[in-house]
Amino acid sequence: MNARVEISSQTAVREPLITCVELGHVYDSGRGRATALGSISLTVDRGEFVCVLGPSGCGKTTLLNILAGFVIPAQGVVRVGGQAIKGPSSERGVVFQDYSLFPWLTAQANVEFGLRMAGRAARERAKIAHDLLGLVGLPDAGAKYPFELSGGMKQRIAIARALATRPSLLLMDEPFAALDAMTRSSLQAKLVEIHCQEQPTILFVTHNIAEALVLASRLIVMSPNPGRIVEDIRIDLPRPRRRTAPRFNELYERVARAIGLETAE
Amino acid sequence: MAFGVSRHSVAGIIGTLAFFGAWEALSRSGLVNNVMLPAPTTIVQSAWELLVTGELPRHLGASLLRAAIGFLGGSVLGVALGVAMAQSPLLHGTINPLVQMFRAVPSLAFVPLAIFWFGIGETSKIFLIAWGVFFPVWVNTYIGVRDVSPLLGRAAASLGAGGWRNFAYVVIPGALPFIIAGLRISLSVALVVLVAAELAGAAFGVGYLIQMSQQVFRVDQMFVGLIVLGGMGFAADLLFERAVHRLLPWYGAEQAGQKGSQIERASGRPITR
Repeated sequence: MNARVEISSQTAVREPLITCVELGHVYDSGRGRATALGSISLTVDRGEFVCVLGPSGCGKTTLLNILAGFVIPAQGVVRVGGQAIKGPSSERGVVFQDYSLFPWLTAQANVEFGLRMAGRAARERAKIAHDLLGLVGLPDAGAKYPFELSGGMKQRIAIARALATRPSLLLMDEPFAALDAMTRSSLQAKLVEIHCQEQPTILFVTHNIAEALVLASRLIVMSPNPGRIVEDIRIDLPRPRRRTAPRFNELYERVARAIGLETAE
Repeated sequence: MAFGVSRHSVAGIIGTLAFFGAWEALSRSGLVNNVMLPAPTTIVQSAWELLVTGELPRHLGASLLRAAIGFLGGSVLGVALGVAMAQSPLLHGTINPLVQMFRAVPSLAFVPLAIFWFGIGETSKIFLIAWGVFFPVWVNTYIGVRDVSPLLGRAAASLGAGGWRNFAYVVIPGALPFIIAGLRISLSVALVVLVAAELAGAAFGVGYLIQMSQQVFRVDQMFVGLIVLGGMGFAADLLFERAVHRLLPWYGAEQAGQKGSQIERASGRPITR
């Protein structure tokens, strides 16, 4: 139930983008050891939009941090693009819940940051940043500083920043959790649009079932103590997705049961 | 609202004029000795004389040069050591007790010692100013670098900025609000130490002007010295604020937001302790 390995003899090239084998992690806190991640095996193909859903403590953020290279796993193997993860890299873009924009840089300079680190020419950077600002729907915000932007706008800039270096994987850690409902649903729509256009592989962590069902092409449900995968569902709902569709509600019920919410709203 | 503000500023002007008017009247009334309390008009006249004879510019120039060199030296050392100690726990462990010990001694108490060691020339004054400036800058730089958001560091690392580039592009700009707060406190510290050092013995400087004027009963010139020092402090702070606003347009807004309370706490420490 936890792996959908596509093995085809003629297309050995088409290996999955992410491969996790028996991945486990334990946090050493002052009062003892907490198993954040049991033993997880998982593969994700290029172009997939994976939502990882679960209650707090289920290890979903730990999984994301391992993939980002922020956390070194205590056990198991994890490879992205066929290579072991040695640390953070611009190959794996990250969007954080609190935006984490550099307050001393303008929106444009924030988007250009990764390109600057990669030593790309100023004109090329400006062009890419301009295109990305357009893509996230903020074509005129380039000269603004983060403090001049609303939460939703900041998160759009953060998405543009993470996309600028064309990472093969986009990791998103509850990026819309701090936004109001209206802004959240408009950003969800924008993200679906971006995924359709650019086809990046996305791993999106959330604890919101409806959000996951609106966004994902595949939903991984996790459960705590120890953190493990309990459901791996392909979401074949047609887009744009309507929250009132019967199939949507069916899936909602199934996921709610999987995470232990017996009576879904 | 606009009416209220203008009424306040009118009240301010009236209050100020009344104060100086009363002062002028008191000095001229014969109720007090007008050598001890010279009239504002007499002070303005003395200031003009000191200005045209070139005496005041010479004193002011000497004071400004000392303050600038001392401020620069103390700030550079403060930033350097603050950054180094925040980056290296070993270095921090080694010299933190020493720095804390020296910081506890008011810098003015070092004036006699500095004069004994370095004489009444420029060296002792620059040393004292640098000494006074060093501590607030060091404390704030240390706190600023230590407390830079680890999330920003992660964000930068995932955009390809590791190692020294993370330091140069994230840690230093992230610590800048604290460093600036430290520098600003040091600006007024520099002025205090400057005057103390000049009063204790000098051949030039605004502090020296006040000291000498006292010896020859020129209270009017003492007032000129006080006014010049007030002007120096005011101008330095204003210029500093303008420069920061110009160079770092995001700074004020950040301060008003989430980081504001942190800056105040951090910048409050060197003064209160």
